[in-house]
Amino acid sequence: MQGFNKKHRVTWWAWLLVLFIGGLLVWGTAHDARLYQDPILQVTAVQKQQTTKETDDFQNVDHQTKQKLTGHLLNTKRRGQRVTLTNTYSTSGAMDQRYHVGSQLFVVVHRSGQQLHAMVKDKKRDTPLVFMLWLVVGLLLLMMQTSGLMAFLSVAANGVLFFLAILLNGSTQGAQVLWIFGSLAVAFAAVTLWLVLGWTRQMVITLMTTLGGTLCSILVALVVFHLTHEKGMYYESMQYVTQLPRPLFIAETLLGSLGAVMDESTDIISSLYALKRERPQLTPRQIFLSGRQIGSTIMGPLINVLFFIFVADTFPMALLYLKNGNSWGYTFSMNMSMGVVQSLISGIGIVLAVPLASYLASRWLPQEEVHA
Amino acid sequence: MSTITVLGLLLLLLMILVGGKAGAQAFFALILNFGLLFLAIVLVAFHFSPLIVTLVVGVLVLALTIFMSSGDDLSSTVAFLASVGVLVVLVLLIVPVEHWALVQGFGPEDSEDLEGLSVLVGISFVQVTMATAILSTLGAIAEAAMAISAGLSEILEQHPQVTMKALFGDGITVGKQIIGTTFNTLFFGFFGGFLALFIWFTGVNYSFGEILNDKIFVAEVLMVLFAMFSVLLTVPITTWVMTRAIALRRKRPQDSTES
Repeated sequence: MQGFNKKHRVTWWAWLLVLFIGGLLVWGTAHDARLYQDPILQVTAVQKQQTTKETDDFQNVDHQTKQKLTGHLLNTKRRGQRVTLTNTYSTSGAMDQRYHVGSQLFVVVHRSGQQLHAMVKDKKRDTPLVFMLWLVVGLLLLMMQTSGLMAFLSVAANGVLFFLAILLNGSTQGAQVLWIFGSLAVAFAAVTLWLVLGWTRQMVITLMTTLGGTLCSILVALVVFHLTHEKGMYYESMQYVTQLPRPLFIAETLLGSLGAVMDESTDIISSLYALKRERPQLTPRQIFLSGRQIGSTIMGPLINVLFFIFVADTFPMALLYLKNGNSWGYTFSMNMSMGVVQSLISGIGIVLAVPLASYLASRWLPQEEVHA
Repeated sequence: MSTITVLGLLLLLLMILVGGKAGAQAFFALILNFGLLFLAIVLVAFHFSPLIVTLVVGVLVLALTIFMSSGDDLSSTVAFLASVGVLVVLVLLIVPVEHWALVQGFGPEDSEDLEGLSVLVGISFVQVTMATAILSTLGAIAEAAMAISAGLSEILEQHPQVTMKALFGDGITVGKQIIGTTFNTLFFGFFGGFLALFIWFTGVNYSFGEILNDKIFVAEVLMVLFAMFSVLLTVPITTWVMTRAIALRRKRPQDSTES
């Protein structure tokens, strides 16, 4: 009971410490204007001006409102000076924002006569970003302690690798995108599984399944692309593309499905390890069948996870297409087809990993480690 | 035949080969989910409130995903109730954060794609962005809730008399096992899709500060964080619903002698 109380108190302190440090960080980003080179304005007064009704060619009705913002600059050598500016926002707000008292904005300042004039460039968004990061990391550490820390570390390590690979890709002008992100996928999988499972035989089997499943799905996709001449795939509909779209698309798909395939392989193989530990007399065939049984229950939900990640993202653009008088079919083709192709390829990888994991586990599960 | 048709048929074939009837069912659920997602977009285009449409579609998607996968009655029901609970909490978090961050709609990076499109369509994109974030998380919520309730129901099968307090601890333990790999699924799933955007940032030489405040970047990272938040939340909520369900079942007289 003593031990329980003590542990309880330590957790309580951990709560407070994480809350405090996070709060400090969030507060810090709300007051970090001086770290930025661009002038930042804090809005102190807002005056609503006239509203105009707008109708476009497709009978969409919207209202645009002008607002006069007064505020003071938080950084640069004009710090503390009062500035007024106007901003226009619409009801839909797809490309504009309505600002409120307290909003911090990046502005471009210019002087005309005695008065300072400014134009809004964008909103300062680092505070909500850091707040959410704090919320997730705090919750993770408090709920999961060491496991949470490991999960955080593996995501952070992958983030760093990802960033380095993007820099490398930039320095080669994107010519090697598939090689870079292909090797990155191997590194990602190895680092993550090493952090989760340590350097064990289980980790090697899981790693081989992950890479095998992902590689097979990409090969299958390439064969299908070749046979169907990529009919119905619109590379021009991919967003933010600055280099050759086809290898980029494959690299995106490869990375996107990697995590899910890894998730699934880890699940199947660790369950099979546990099963073998409980019932050492299981034959390889029985292990294979159990693996297939476990895999077939988790593959559906996992494909679903990726499907929603890949396709839900296209919501705003698809909506805009529909509101601009496009047909359902055209809207689908130009916005969602690539996401659907990505989900299907990942799905194939996820399904293929099931027999692969079961087979490898049935062959290589250690006999000597079992002490029943 | 188009590439999508061939890939789709191939996936269906593989799912049947590997999973049999359950595989076919899971494929069918996927198709229905796509239908629901498309329906949500069409309904919003007809000026239904994006948030309400998302909530209704979200509950339908969760029900479909959870009840169409194989699992016993207890764990499916618990997973469904818990995931709806997570959905509600997620909405309560997303609404203020999206209003705060103002990451709705499109950024300067989208201007090429927006050429020739009218953006003044009279639908609140703040709400559309919330809908997008919620929808993209649905699959992950369903998956996590199912994994935890299945794990707990297995423990209950082996130790039917486990105390409520121990069961809660077990839930967190099951959560610990899945959280590392689930976070990686989310990380890769989202960041794979953002690859082009991140290449854009380095190619156009954005400064660190510019990226950190960029509308599209913040919108995307917030989506990942919302997803991770909801998966984390799934652990205690599912465990709690399971303990309530078991407590209710034990309180009842012995009319259900099976299970």
